[in-house]
Amino acid sequence: MSGQPLLSVRDAHRDYPHSGEPVHAVRGVSLQVTEGEYVAIVGPSGCGKSTLLNLLGAIDRPTTGSVTIGGTAVSALPDKAATHFRLTNIGFVFQRFYLLPVLTAQENIELPMAEAKVALAERHERARELLGYVGLAARADHRPAELSGGEQQRVAIARALANRPIVLLADEPTGELDARTGGEVIALFDRLNREGMTIVVVTHDEKLAGAARRVIHMLDGRIVRDEPLLRRA
Amino acid sequence: MTAALTARVASAQRIDSIPPWKAEVRTIAVDERLAADAGLRVGDLVVLAAEPGNASGDTVRISAILQRRADPSEVARSEYRIRTHLGQLQELIGYGDRVDRYAIQTTGGVAADSALRRINALSFGFHAYPSREIAVETSKTFLVVSRFHRAIGMITIVASATFLLCIMLLKVDERRRDVAAMRLMGISRATVVRTVMLESSFVALLGSLFGVALGFAVSAFVNAHYQAVYRTPLRFAIITAGTVTYSVLLSLVLGIGAGALAARRLSRTPPLTLFGR
Amino acid sequence: MRFQLAALSLRRHASRTLLAVLGVAVSAAMLLDMVMLATGMRQSFASLLGRNGFTIRVSPRGTLPFDTEATIAQAGDATAAIARISGVTAVAPVLGTTIHVLGARAPVTAFALGVDPAVQGDYQLLSGRDPAANELVASDALLRATGARVGDTLDVAVGFDPQLRTYTGRRRVAISGRARFTYLSADDRAAALQLATVQAMGGADRADRASLFMVRTAPNVDPEAARVAIERALPRVTALSTAGAVAEAERRLSYFRQLAFILGAVSLIVGFLLVTTIVTVSVNERIGEIAIMRAIGVSRIHVVQQIVIEGIGLSLTGAAAGLVLGVFTAQWLNSILRGFPGLPDAIDFFLFQPNSAFRALALLVASGVAAGIYPAWRAASLPISATLREEAVG
Repeated sequence: MSGQPLLSVRDAHRDYPHSGEPVHAVRGVSLQVTEGEYVAIVGPSGCGKSTLLNLLGAIDRPTTGSVTIGGTAVSALPDKAATHFRLTNIGFVFQRFYLLPVLTAQENIELPMAEAKVALAERHERARELLGYVGLAARADHRPAELSGGEQQRVAIARALANRPIVLLADEPTGELDARTGGEVIALFDRLNREGMTIVVVTHDEKLAGAARRVIHMLDGRIVRDEPLLRRA
Repeated sequence: MTAALTARVASAQRIDSIPPWKAEVRTIAVDERLAADAGLRVGDLVVLAAEPGNASGDTVRISAILQRRADPSEVARSEYRIRTHLGQLQELIGYGDRVDRYAIQTTGGVAADSALRRINALSFGFHAYPSREIAVETSKTFLVVSRFHRAIGMITIVASATFLLCIMLLKVDERRRDVAAMRLMGISRATVVRTVMLESSFVALLGSLFGVALGFAVSAFVNAHYQAVYRTPLRFAIITAGTVTYSVLLSLVLGIGAGALAARRLSRTPPLTLFGR
Repeated sequence: MRFQLAALSLRRHASRTLLAVLGVAVSAAMLLDMVMLATGMRQSFASLLGRNGFTIRVSPRGTLPFDTEATIAQAGDATAAIARISGVTAVAPVLGTTIHVLGARAPVTAFALGVDPAVQGDYQLLSGRDPAANELVASDALLRATGARVGDTLDVAVGFDPQLRTYTGRRRVAISGRARFTYLSADDRAAALQLATVQAMGGADRADRASLFMVRTAPNVDPEAARVAIERALPRVTALSTAGAVAEAERRLSYFRQLAFILGAVSLIVGFLLVTTIVTVSVNERIGEIAIMRAIGVSRIHVVQQIVIEGIGLSLTGAAAGLVLGVFTAQWLNSILRGFPGLPDAIDFFLFQPNSAFRALALLVASGVAAGIYPAWRAASLPISATLREEAVG
């Protein structure tokens, strides 16, 4: 994979205060992800991979160091600008789906578009398109409680894609799913990446990590191995 | 038998000495409000007049200062009161040999009734009433106030009951994860309901005890405030054992009721749903 | 979408929302009632006193109108003296007394007013005509008690002599009309006669005397200036302007005003606490959802707005229901207080005034908004990553 780096992390540290003592969640990580890459970050629990993903997604800021996404130094953005940056440039998928239970599948997908002030008709159209893309066109009017775990995660992926982000970040997206539905999500990620979407996933799931083109291993807040995998046919 | 005459004395002005033409003066009693406001003390000489500026007033000596009765009918009237001898007041206001009313003491019971009948049969131009009838008539205002307070009390009870019910439902709802964990551990539905109800009744009991303490503090403040405003020993807010029992029981019933309602609903919801899975 | 989300969030816990709305409604009703009580008496009393344009009451010095049996001597001269004061347009002398209507049955006692029918402001005729000499207009209660009708003649006396066992000031008086007495209750037995008739019936004690003068002033004249001028011209009277009378009535009934203030404040606090509690619990339950909204790029202010809209929704619905409930409970409470003996018909303790009512309800809704802001801002300001981590663990 060649080209300009889309995501760039330079010597990032992230410390959390915990009972008066700092916890070093990320220690001097430097990383570059180019456009169209599919990266999996793996490592044992508490190694700092979710923290790194949050830094990459401008949800969190490094204590020191910098994070640049698409040429924007997001680690230096004030909260308001960072929020708007996330809205328009980053798609998030979480382990526990976190769909709003009071909204239907379609309305959940429309939520980020409404926030981005996309016109109503366009919102409806794009939401239906995305539901079709994730194979849930028939479930548009169902609320999360009426959907299976796999279906909820696919709605969450559609929501993450709503504002056409430049990168999709996923934190244990198969963590709450069984093998079959987890497989559906892996297949969906694979398809997205083939169509050009840059994806970074944090996972314990070997199958998901195996589907990525590059695997970064973390331990104690540091990257210990960064290996490109062969593209499968 | 006592005779009473009520009249407005327009002024009671303190003087320093007895006029030389008077050998001795008559005595009056003044109430503590007048004594305090006019700086009067027992032994002071004052001139009473039926009309202001009337030079022919009557010089009298204050022989007593009276404490006001705790009479609710006088609360809002910030009048001063003095007590004179009957003849003295008749003379002062030029009322002649007349009185407003007589109060008659009898040996009680049947004697009062027969005295009343005889007086009314004999009398011309006036009417005798039993004291209880007068009491009923004069207490009409307070019956209205009392009915008003009861109505306000009812609204307050509805408001606080709704509030309590709401809070208790929320409180129990907050325990959804604990209830789920208990159910997953295999603890029976009945035990879960009992546990939650016990907790909500404990919260209701604690809350009502705090409320009772707050009620005592507020009533002390209300009494102190209104006693000072109206200058009366009257107690405006009284918390009785009945009031306390009623409020504690009401909050317990509502607390336990709300707890039972919410606990039953929670215990019937599948534990995983309670966990949000 | 924020409105939709807020509405759906409220619907998500329908029973809780319903209870909260009910709670706010009762608080709003109580607040409204207390505002109506606090302002009602004043307005109602001021409007009663201001009827017929009488702005000043003149009574014997040191007394309030009809507070005692004291009278003003040389009423004719006093009327003329007051009428001469600049700005005074009319003077209505009134002499109050007790009359006994004698008949076959036990005498009926009634309150009688001696008035000048041309300028009086004490009654409104319901039928018949104003009283001429030796005539009276009677209240319905007096007509009922005596069984008489307009056109009948009554045997009336103003006193009695126990020694001689005779009624004094006795004369036959024809009923010329039925009237409603402005300052008396509908249950009061009352009559109005010509001032001269009452003075004559009262003998030497009542000759050329009046209990009260009601004074009308020109619209462009400050009643306070006329009041001062009257007291200066007649040193043995107390002149009371409508504002002064209202202030005195307020002082005597200050208990109700203070009760209204305290209960109104308590209602406001209860409403505020209720909305705060509901919104806080609702927000705490949705910390994860709120963090996720923030993570996907929903701005902090929009999160706060959505939660505040929920608070406003609760308060507005509660306030609307409270408005209806409050008007009904006010009528109920008013009917209780109207039971005060001798209360004029025109006096209401609870008076609905749209401006005051809506201001009070707006205050409640504003407190609902304030109640939502803190928990909303707190939730929207939580660090997203830490909140998501905690929610995942929880």
